[in-house]
Amino acid sequence: MTQLKQRLNAPLKAIALASSAGLVLAGCASATEEPTTEPTETTSATAEPEPTSGGSMVVGITVDPDTIFPWKATQFQAFRMLENVYDTLTAFDADLNVVPGLAESWEVSDDGLAITFDLRDGVKFSDGSDFDSADVKYSYEAIQDEANAAVARSTLGGVTSIDTPDSDTVVLNLATADVGILANLTSVNLAIVSSDDTEETLSTATNGTGPFVLESRTAGQNVVLARNPNYWGDATPLDTVEFRVLPDEAAIAAAMSAGNVQMAVFSDPITARTVTGDVTVNTTPQLSYHALMLNARNGSMTDKNVRLAIQCAIDRQAVLDTALLGEGAVTGPITSPAFRSDPNARPCPERDLAAAAEYLAASGNAGGLEIDAIVAQNLYAGAVEIAQAVAAQLAEANITLNLEVLESGTYIDRWIAGDFESAIALNGGRPDPDGMYGRYFPSTGNLNQVSGYSSETMDALFAAGKSEGDPTARKQIYADVSAELEDNAVWVWLFSGYTYTATSDSITGFTPMTTGSWQYLRTTGLK
Amino acid sequence: MTAILRSSVIRKTAGALATLFGVAVFVFFMLRAIPGDQISASLGTEAAGLTEAQRQALVEYYGIDEPLTTQFFSWLANLFAGDLGFSVRAQQPVLDLTVAALPVTFQLAVFAILLALIIGVPIGMLSASAPRKARDFVGQAVSLLGLSIPAFLLATTLLTFFAVNLGFNPNGLGYKTLFEDPSVNLQQMFLPSLVLGFGISAPIIRTTRAAVLEIRGQDFIRTARAKGVKTQRIQFRHILRNALIPIVTMTGLQFGYLLGGAVVVEQIFSLPGIGRQVLLGIQQKEYALVQSTVLVIAASFVVINLLTDLLYRAIDPRVRAE
Amino acid sequence: MSTTAKQQAQKGAGRKLLSSGRGAVSLAVLVILLGLALAVNFGLVGFDPIAQTPSDRLLAPNSTYWFGTDQFGRDIFSRVMSGVGSSSLISVVAVTIAAVFGTLIGLFGGFYRGLIDLFGTGVTNVLFAFPPLLLALTLASVLDRNWFTVAVAIGVVYIPIFARVTRGPVLSLREIEFVRAARSTGMNSIGIMFRHVLPNISSIAIIQIALSLSWAVLTEAALSFLGLGSPPPAPSLGSMIYEARTLVLIAPWTLYAPGAIIVTFVVALNLLGDSIRDILDPRSREVSS
Repeated sequence: MTQLKQRLNAPLKAIALASSAGLVLAGCASATEEPTTEPTETTSATAEPEPTSGGSMVVGITVDPDTIFPWKATQFQAFRMLENVYDTLTAFDADLNVVPGLAESWEVSDDGLAITFDLRDGVKFSDGSDFDSADVKYSYEAIQDEANAAVARSTLGGVTSIDTPDSDTVVLNLATADVGILANLTSVNLAIVSSDDTEETLSTATNGTGPFVLESRTAGQNVVLARNPNYWGDATPLDTVEFRVLPDEAAIAAAMSAGNVQMAVFSDPITARTVTGDVTVNTTPQLSYHALMLNARNGSMTDKNVRLAIQCAIDRQAVLDTALLGEGAVTGPITSPAFRSDPNARPCPERDLAAAAEYLAASGNAGGLEIDAIVAQNLYAGAVEIAQAVAAQLAEANITLNLEVLESGTYIDRWIAGDFESAIALNGGRPDPDGMYGRYFPSTGNLNQVSGYSSETMDALFAAGKSEGDPTARKQIYADVSAELEDNAVWVWLFSGYTYTATSDSITGFTPMTTGSWQYLRTTGLK
Repeated sequence: MTAILRSSVIRKTAGALATLFGVAVFVFFMLRAIPGDQISASLGTEAAGLTEAQRQALVEYYGIDEPLTTQFFSWLANLFAGDLGFSVRAQQPVLDLTVAALPVTFQLAVFAILLALIIGVPIGMLSASAPRKARDFVGQAVSLLGLSIPAFLLATTLLTFFAVNLGFNPNGLGYKTLFEDPSVNLQQMFLPSLVLGFGISAPIIRTTRAAVLEIRGQDFIRTARAKGVKTQRIQFRHILRNALIPIVTMTGLQFGYLLGGAVVVEQIFSLPGIGRQVLLGIQQKEYALVQSTVLVIAASFVVINLLTDLLYRAIDPRVRAE
Repeated sequence: MSTTAKQQAQKGAGRKLLSSGRGAVSLAVLVILLGLALAVNFGLVGFDPIAQTPSDRLLAPNSTYWFGTDQFGRDIFSRVMSGVGSSSLISVVAVTIAAVFGTLIGLFGGFYRGLIDLFGTGVTNVLFAFPPLLLALTLASVLDRNWFTVAVAIGVVYIPIFARVTRGPVLSLREIEFVRAARSTGMNSIGIMFRHVLPNISSIAIIQIALSLSWAVLTEAALSFLGLGSPPPAPSLGSMIYEARTLVLIAPWTLYAPGAIIVTFVVALNLLGDSIRDILDPRSREVSS
């Protein structure tokens, strides 16, 4: 192995983290990451040479995007491509601050019930037509229409009407104040499309306002993006970016070693390190988190003492070391840096078998207990190893964890139905805590049956968090949410993993985002 | 063509059609038994957030709203009209995808068979030329290894060795057809067809050896030898020509197997062939894609076997007389 | 050949197998491999094949870990042997399923002819129309996965082979004198089938069983390589080789050990199959040594 440079970003570096909704599914299955969409005027200042204009780059992926229609995209690969083609009203910068996208500025009314967006001027779609407020109204109303089955419909659930006083202004009227909506609007699932386009026209060709356009797509082989000549921002250095499908990460590593591929994201650190040649590997912590989900509405899990016993019996660091080779960080419920939960703020910050035994006795199960856990196979790496390590530790606390290893389709069906006593899961995270857990824990959340838990305290906290405009007060609300979740051992939050972005040293200007987003492809070029 | 041959062609063709209908029924209903549908396959757990109306809209979008039997018969009816279905994921007709994938596997299969014959026939003849002597054991050892080394092991080892040690990894360039870039295409086909060819050379070696040994013992060869015909001439003129019959049969059979059996090698070397199309379709629960592709493969398989059988009947007088 | 003569011939076969060089060697190799698999299974040698020892990750072969360790610090020797064990179990069950159902289809179809035969041949032809690996692949993705369903998927693929090789001989046997004689004495047809016909096709079935075992092992390995075999963490030779692909550069032993063992295992099975065929089928001996 020649010159393998490795730059490990400190996991806790205050760069922001990935956003994802639902469960993150690696590899072939659909993933539900929601990376950001927009470029920022200030890209992170790295002392790298200016990219030369022109040239093309190949990015290795294991599965090709399953759709090119932004409102229905749920898969990593589709997100990573589409966020370079479509824009949204607001965007994230590299630190996950909400920054202007297609909206240059916005104003929230005093009661929080109306948000007025001032749109960017001189923006054109890639087909040359002009962008204006009618396109925003058209897009959002179509996303709200159930018949279109748009994934992010719930984000606009509180929007009662959309006004367009002039072609440059859009007003969103809300039923209740919703502080998180500005962050949630960054998802490419809320991409603004032209009012002349429909799902049908956008399923075979793209027409966005972003820096790239889709040049060609060959199912199972590749997707090629080309520079959008009508882009409103700085023109991309690269002429084209090819997303090339190779069957697995080992094949991508081989192709990178042979110089056929210039960039790839690996989920497996060992594979990333086998790439030879002049390659830099960046380690990026993720917003998604591994958890042992407990269904507090099912069987013995209804007893808080049982759940606490489980929480106390698990040594999270040991599970991480065993199953993911220590590649990750122990976490509490909220993984987003601005709202991060203290991983040690919980009844048993360290493994405590004596406490576990006490809780177990208090629940009337001093003699031990059996619990079923569903585990996904072929859905994401490490699931079975994590399950085994957790089971081994629970066994020492007299709790038998019966692992049901399920084929991914079966697992997803049972997960959705909340049909489990406990579940080994990898769930996506989002930058805003309301976006992250507002679907799970309030009794009205659309994933509440999956979370298996609700309480009046929880409902009140989430309602307060939605309307609190003061950042410090809002932070405290979500710290309380975190404490409520941990003190009741609603689930056992384990740890977050990393991803590994390998880039050839022949390219410059790419910043791997902790969201997993590839939005900086727009500033990437050849040296 | 004799009357017997003709009636047997008709009988065989009718049988083949009945078999294909059975395949269609079998494939269609087997795929429906896979847990999870296309909605959960594409949305994952995100499907939990769908409202009833959204789910209904998606069910219609994927065309899985009709009762199964209705879906089955409309599929069959469309097949006869040349419509193999539509891949929602690729936004392309399955026919187009299949037309693109079939030649890849076909080319791979032809190359593999050629390599297998180049390896197998000479070794088989050498083996037969001195039964139970050293060179026979070497020949048999080669065929034993061909039968025993899993294709995925050989493919993995070769791919890694060539890519890492020699920097030779044409399959990382993205697939190029023979017409787009002949040189890259041939390089991309080299290792995969070598892996498959080595595997198939085993039955070819065995068949060749057995056929040569059998023919050598027959009267007309003894007569030729007694007449003083040169050994080499006997070897090629008489023995090989007669041994060709079973070799051709074996080759046809192997060719049929390769259409679906190349899937592992296609996957490892990222060749967008027909086997990989099925594998990806299964992973993504694209029934429309899988059922039609499998049927196409089965049909090719049946047709190739039918042709092999007819060819065999046509060239072997003994069979014709039966 | 009468029934008793046939049985005697089969008894002699065991001795012949041991006295043939290939047969004895392959049997010895198989006995050693299976012995080690059982020993690992009962904890007599090696380690628990799924126990992870993070501190002993990716160690080269040494006196503690004879074949080294993998990325989770699991003992590769134990995993390989345990993989041989589960692969044998799956293959034996798969071939048993194929042999029982295939032979029954061939037996009933050939003996009764008519609709039963038509149905049996139809099913056989349909299954035959699939390239074997593709059929196993599709079946394996339908069934909820555990070692038994993998065995069923592989078994179904080989049913038609057994049906074909047995049906022909049954067809000719039913016309043979002693079967006719048995019929004329009023013996019921099931009795005739199992008392007189079945024993006479048993050597054909045994030969096919011997030849199918190695295919079954290879198919199981290919399925687990593609991620459609028994679910992890159960060790399987195919999935071990799949995982080793990413490790081969930094820990080549992770590929060598399962690779070498699977080749040895399949070579031994093939040799055994050939020897059994040569002994039970005198015709093949002359041409295929």
